[in-house]
Amino acid sequence: MDPITFSIIRHRLFRVVEEAVITLKHVSGSAITNEGHDLMVSLYRADGSLLMGGVGFLHHLTSAAEACKAVIRRFQGQINEGDIYLLNDPYTAALHTSDIYLVSPIHHNGVLVAWSACFVHVFDIGAMNPGGFAPDATDIYSEGFSSPGIKLVAGGELRQDVWDTLLNMVRGPEMVALDLRSMIACNNVARERTLALVEKYGPETFDQACQLLIAQSEQRLRERLSELPDGQWQSRQYVDVKGTVHRVVLTMKKQGDRLIFDFTGSSPQSKYSINCSKWASIGGLFAPLFPLLCYDIVWNEGVIRPIEMIAPEGTIVNATRPAPVSVATVGAIQSVNNAACSTIGKMLAASERYADEATAVWHANHFAIFMFGNNQKGNQTIGILTETFAGAGGARTFGDGVDVGGEIPNPISRMANVETIEATFPVRYLFRRRLRDSGGPGRYRGGTGGEMAIISHDAPDGGIDYVLSGKGTKFPMSDGLGGGYSGSSNDYVWIHAPKDGRNTDRFAQTLDGITGDKEPISWGVFPLRGDDVLYVRWNGGGGVGDPLERSIDMVRDDVLGRTISDEAAREIYGVVLKDGKVEPDATAERRKALRSARAGLEIAQ
Amino acid sequence: MTRRRASQTLVLDDGQVCCSACGHGLVPIGQSWKPRARLSSVAVASMPGAGLGIDQRLELRLFTCPACAALLDSETALPEDPFLEDIIYA
Amino acid sequence: MTKYLVATDVGGTCTDTIVFATGEPVRLGKALSTPPNFADGVLDSIRSAAVSMALTLEQLLSQTSLFVHGSTVVDNAILTRDGARTGLVTTAGFEDTLLVTRGAYGRWGGLTEDRFKHPVKTDRAPALVDPDCIVGLAERADYKGAILVDLDEAVAEKALRHLIDEKHVDAVAVSFLWSFYNPANEQKVKRILERIAPGVYCTLSSDIAPTPGEYERTSTTVINAYAGQITRSYLQSLEALLAKTGYREPVLVMQGYGGLLPAHEAAERSIGMLECGPAAGVIGSKALGDLLGHPDVIATDMGGTTFKVSVIQNGSIEYAREPMVDRFHYTQPKIEVVSIGAGGGSIISLEPGSMAPRVGPRSAGSRPGPVCYGLGGTEPTLTDVFMLIGYMDPDIFLGGAMTLDKAAAYRAFKEKIADPLGMGVEEAAFGVYRVAAAQIADLIHEITVERGLDPRDFILHSFGGSCGMLAGMFSQELNVKQVVVPYTASVNCAFGLVSADIVHEYSTSTVLPVPSPAALVNAIFEPMTAKALRQLKDEGFEGSRVQLEWSVDLRYSRQVHQVTTQVAAPTPLDDAGLAQLIADYEALYERKFGKGSAYREAGIEMTQFRLTARGLMTRPELAPLPLDGIDSSAARIGRRRVFVEAADGMAEADIYDFEKLRPGNVVTGPAVIHTPITTIVLQDRQRGTVDAYRNVLIDFLR
Repeated sequence: MDPITFSIIRHRLFRVVEEAVITLKHVSGSAITNEGHDLMVSLYRADGSLLMGGVGFLHHLTSAAEACKAVIRRFQGQINEGDIYLLNDPYTAALHTSDIYLVSPIHHNGVLVAWSACFVHVFDIGAMNPGGFAPDATDIYSEGFSSPGIKLVAGGELRQDVWDTLLNMVRGPEMVALDLRSMIACNNVARERTLALVEKYGPETFDQACQLLIAQSEQRLRERLSELPDGQWQSRQYVDVKGTVHRVVLTMKKQGDRLIFDFTGSSPQSKYSINCSKWASIGGLFAPLFPLLCYDIVWNEGVIRPIEMIAPEGTIVNATRPAPVSVATVGAIQSVNNAACSTIGKMLAASERYADEATAVWHANHFAIFMFGNNQKGNQTIGILTETFAGAGGARTFGDGVDVGGEIPNPISRMANVETIEATFPVRYLFRRRLRDSGGPGRYRGGTGGEMAIISHDAPDGGIDYVLSGKGTKFPMSDGLGGGYSGSSNDYVWIHAPKDGRNTDRFAQTLDGITGDKEPISWGVFPLRGDDVLYVRWNGGGGVGDPLERSIDMVRDDVLGRTISDEAAREIYGVVLKDGKVEPDATAERRKALRSARAGLEIAQ
Repeated sequence: MTRRRASQTLVLDDGQVCCSACGHGLVPIGQSWKPRARLSSVAVASMPGAGLGIDQRLELRLFTCPACAALLDSETALPEDPFLEDIIYA
Repeated sequence: MTKYLVATDVGGTCTDTIVFATGEPVRLGKALSTPPNFADGVLDSIRSAAVSMALTLEQLLSQTSLFVHGSTVVDNAILTRDGARTGLVTTAGFEDTLLVTRGAYGRWGGLTEDRFKHPVKTDRAPALVDPDCIVGLAERADYKGAILVDLDEAVAEKALRHLIDEKHVDAVAVSFLWSFYNPANEQKVKRILERIAPGVYCTLSSDIAPTPGEYERTSTTVINAYAGQITRSYLQSLEALLAKTGYREPVLVMQGYGGLLPAHEAAERSIGMLECGPAAGVIGSKALGDLLGHPDVIATDMGGTTFKVSVIQNGSIEYAREPMVDRFHYTQPKIEVVSIGAGGGSIISLEPGSMAPRVGPRSAGSRPGPVCYGLGGTEPTLTDVFMLIGYMDPDIFLGGAMTLDKAAAYRAFKEKIADPLGMGVEEAAFGVYRVAAAQIADLIHEITVERGLDPRDFILHSFGGSCGMLAGMFSQELNVKQVVVPYTASVNCAFGLVSADIVHEYSTSTVLPVPSPAALVNAIFEPMTAKALRQLKDEGFEGSRVQLEWSVDLRYSRQVHQVTTQVAAPTPLDDAGLAQLIADYEALYERKFGKGSAYREAGIEMTQFRLTARGLMTRPELAPLPLDGIDSSAARIGRRRVFVEAADGMAEADIYDFEKLRPGNVVTGPAVIHTPITTIVLQDRQRGTVDAYRNVLIDFLR
C-alpha cells in the first residue's frame, strides 16, 4: 500500500471519529458529555475488532469492541444496512448500565465493511438511585434497564416499541431521549463519512489500509515492549465500602513482546456495587496502557494483541451475574486503572530509554456525587458535581505532577465553573481551591487535589439531596513511584449546622472554620438542607522519588505557594522554615535525623 | 559486567540487584530485593495531610539501602499484606 | 489635498500596507516586522508603498486622511511573556481559580490531538500572575447579583498596598464572583486604587468581560491588565511617530471581533487586539464577498507557518466559542479562525515506522526558510515541493528579486523523503502535495460540518502567498462552487482593515425565560443603545452613519449550547418580532446541532443581550476595469512540465504572466499564472477568469 494513500486514509479516519464526536456533543448538549467529556466514539472492523479509538473515556474502547462482537454473535444473519443496536449489559460488554453503547454496522454495496460505536453516560437508567450509580444496590436487578443487545433502529427506522420501553423505565426520559438521539446522530455521521472514504478509494484499498493500520500498531507496540526489560511488577489497590476492605491485586509480567496482567489474588466479588465484569477490567487496564505505552501509536486491535489478562471468575474484577456493578467505573475499574498505571510506570522506570515516560498514579479516586431535586427556578434537576473530573496529576521522573491536573483514563476532562453550578443548582460554594499537603511527597511532588464546600441556597424545598458513591477515604490510592509516597485520600463530610443556630459561620474559609458536627460519609443518599454544609476533598497524585531529595528551594516555594504546609515541610521533606525563609542548619539536621529514623529493622530472612 | 538500570533507585550489576547510589548488592538478579532492604514504617494516618478517615492500621513502608540509607522504594499497605514484589528477570 | 487611505497590518513576519485613493490603482507595501518596536516596521512598510508611488514617506502621510491599523503587538507580548507584573484581587476562597484552570482544561487547552494522547508530557503554562500576587478579599455576590458579603474597604486598601508596595505590581486585575450581575464591589476596589495609586493599570472583570464563567472571565481580566501598559505605550508612540512624519488625523485600530476602535479606546482594551490580524483577513474576505455578491464564503489564508480557515454564512461572521491566546483561555467576541500547521514553510517529514509523509506542524518559517531560498534551510518544506512539481519558477520569484535554488531543493527532498520512501523525487513530491491537499480539505470539511454547513454551497477565497498553488486541488475535493484568488491575496489583512467599520460591542448578561414580554428585552437594550449613540457621536458618527444590530444568546434550559442569534425584526421589538427571534434561534440551533437535537420542552432561556454598534466608514471604491475579451494568449509566456492531478504526474502546461492578463481574459487549465507575489495553479478541467477587479475566479468544469 503506498504511503501517500495510506497517510491520507489514516488522516481521514481520524477526522471521521472527530466529526462523530462533535456531533455527539452537539446533539446531546448535556453537561456530563460536554464538560466531563464522558463519552467515546470509535471505529471497528467488520469483525468487531478495534480500528481507530478516539479520545474520550478510554476504558470503553475495548468494551465497545466486545459489544460489536456480541451483536455479531447474537444477530448473526440479521444484521442489515441502517441498523443500530443498543447494548448496556455489563455482563455482556458494557461497564455499567448507565453507559449505553450504540453500535452501528456500516455496509458498502450490501457488504459489511466496518462498525461504529459510541457511548455516553445517560441522564438516568432507572436504577434504584437517580443518576445511575446505585450504592444501595445488592444485585444487578436494582441497577436499571439492561440489555445484552437489542435492535433500536432497523434499516433506518426507529423501533418505537424498544424506544418507548427503555424510556418508560427511566427518570427524565426526555433527557435520556436526547442522549440516545445524540448517539444515533453520531453513528450516522460516522457511517456516512466512512462510506465516503470507502467510495473514494474502493473497498479493497480501504480494507488494505485498515489491515495495515492494525499491523503497524501491533508492530510498533511489540517493538517497544521488546525494548523494555523482562520482569514482573506488582500493585495493590484497597477499596473500602462501609467497613469492608477489598483488594485489587495485580502482577504485571513482561516477557519479550508480551505483556500479561494477572489479577489473581484479588478479593472475591463484593456485595456492594463496586464490582466490575471481565470486560470492564480489560477496558480498565487499557485506559492507562494506551496513553502511557502507545502515545505515538494508533489505538486499535494491533495494540491489544500483545496484551493478555488473567482475572479469576468470581473476583471483584471479574464478578459474575447477578453481582451489582453500577459503581464499577468509580470502583473496581478505577482500581484496575490505578494498578495498571502503577505497574506500567514501574516498568517504564526500569528502562533507560523510557524512564521519562513513567509516572506515579494520577487521581486514584473518583467520586460520583449526583445532586437531585428542585432547583432555584423550580425545575427538577439531576446532575453530577464535576469536581471529580478535576483530578490530580501524578509526578513524573523529571518534574512534579500537575496540580488539579486531570486523570489518565480521560485525557481531556475539566470541571465546571462555580458560577455554572450555582446557576443550575440551589447551592452556593463557600470555597474551592487546591488542597494543601495532598500531593504525594517525593523528590518530585504529586499534583495536589482540591477541596470545596457547598451549602444550600435559594432552594424551594429547603435544600436538595444527593447520591454519594465515594471511595478512597480510608485508603489513599494514588501510589507513588521510585520511593515517592502516595497522594492523599478523599474525604466527604456532612457538617450538621449547630441546632441553636448560633456561631454559624457560613462564609468560613476552611473546614475547621465551618461550625457544626462533622460527620464523615461516603456511601448512600444524603440531604443538603438549611445551614448544613457538604465538604469534599479529593486526592492528590502520587510522588516520585525521595522527599528528602527534593530541592530545598522547591519545598520553600511550595510552602509559600500553599501547596505544602510548614509541618509537612519539616516532617516529611526535612526542610525547616521560619517566616518563609529556609533555615539551612536546622534543615540539614532534620534531614539527617529523618534518614536515621528510616534505618529501622532489617528483615530476618 | 555491564551495569544496567533496574528502577529509579536500583541497578543490575554483575548479576546482582544493587542500590544505584552506593552499589551495595542486595540480591541476585531474579529475586525479590525488598526482604534484603532495611524497612521502617510510618502510620499513614499520623502524617501531615492525612485525610480524616484514614485506616489507623495503614502503614507507609520505607525500604532503604542497608549500606547508605538511600530510599529504594515505598509502598502503602495494611500490615498483614505482603510486600509488592518487583523483579527484573535477566 | 488629503486623499489617501492607508492601512498597515503588523504580522509576525511581515508588515503589510495598502494605499487607496479614489480613481487611482491600489498600491501595496511590504516590510519585515520589527519586534519589539513594531512601530519602526510600520513606517518602513508605508515607506515601501510610498516608493512605489514615487513619493517620500512624509509626502504620502501628509496627504493621508485616514490611517487604519492592526498589529500583533498584544499576541506577541503574551507569547514572549513581556507584559506587566500583575496582581489579581479576587473573592476570598477562590484565589486558585486562575491557577487551577478548571482542572486539566489549562493542561490540554490549545494542544493538538497527538499531544492529548500523551498526557505525561503535558503541563499547564505558568500563569501570567505570580501566585504570591493573588489576594482574596472577603466579599460575595450570588447568582442573582445580590450582595451577600460587603467589601470592607479598609481591608481592600491594605491588600492593594501590599500588592503595590511589597509585591511591586504595575497592574491589577480585579475579578469577583458574579461581578457581571453586580459590579459594585469591583468598582469599590477600582476607586480605592485610583486614589492610592493612579499610575497602576487596573482592569475590572465586570468591565472587560461581563459574562458568566469565573475562570475565563478572570483569565481575560488578567490578560488585559498584563498587556495593558504595553498596548497603551505602543499606540501612543505610534501616533506620535506618525504625527512627527506628517500624519495628524485619527488612527483607527482593529479588534479581534472585526471592528475598528479609535486608538485612544483601543489603548484601554489590550485584549481586544488579540488576533486582530486574522480578524481583518476575514473582514477583507467578507468585503470581497459583498463586492462579488457572495454571501457564503469559506475564507482560507495560507502563510508561511499556518493555514487558516474561517466561515462566512449568509454574510454573517462567526465568533469563536472558546478563544485562546497561546495556552491561555479568554472570553471576548472574537472572530473564529481555525488554523493548522500547514504553511509554505511547513517541514515535510516521514513518520517513523509507517513512513507516512507529514506536512508540518514544524515550520522553517522565512529563516532559515525553504531549502530553495538558499538561506540555510536544510529540511524540505512545502514550498520546496511546489518548486519540485513545477509550480514555482526559480527565476521569477518575487518578480525576480530572489533566485530560487531548485537543485538544492531536489537534493534535500531526495535524501530525506524520496529515497527513504523508495520513490522517485517527482513521484514522492506529488504524493506529499496530495497529502497536504487532503489534510486541508479534511480540515475545511470538519469546520463546515461542525456548523451544519455543506462546503458545496460555498465560494472559497484563497489568500496568502502559497494558497493559490493548492486551492484548485483541495477545493475540487470539497466540491465548492467556485474559488476566488483575490488581487489583494497577499495583503488581505491590510485590505480588511480598510473594509472595516468602527464597531463597539456591548453586552448584558441576564437570564430571561421565553416567553417574556418584548418590553423587558427592550429595557435591557435601552441603556446599551444610549451609551452606544453617545460614544459614536463623540467619534463623529450620527444618523445614517450609525447602524445598531441586536443579537441575543439563547439556549434550551437543560442543555449547554448557547447560540447567538441576530435580531432580524425592527427594533425596539414588539412581541411578533421577539417571536421571530425565537423561531430564528430554533432554526439556527437545528441547523448547527442537528435534527432532533433540541429539547424544547425544557423551555428556552435568553442569557446574553448583545449590541453591535457600527459607525459606518466610507469604503474605498474599487473601480471595476473595463473587460477585454477572453483571449489570454498575450499573457502566455511559455510552457513547462508541472504536476497535473488528472494526469497522475507531470504534464505540459501553459505559463502566464498575471501582469499581462486583462480583465475578462480566460485561462484554461492545466496552467500556471505567476503574479509578482503569488502563483495560481489551475488543474485540468479548471478555468480561470480575470474579473473586472483583477481577481482570478476559478470554475470547475464538470
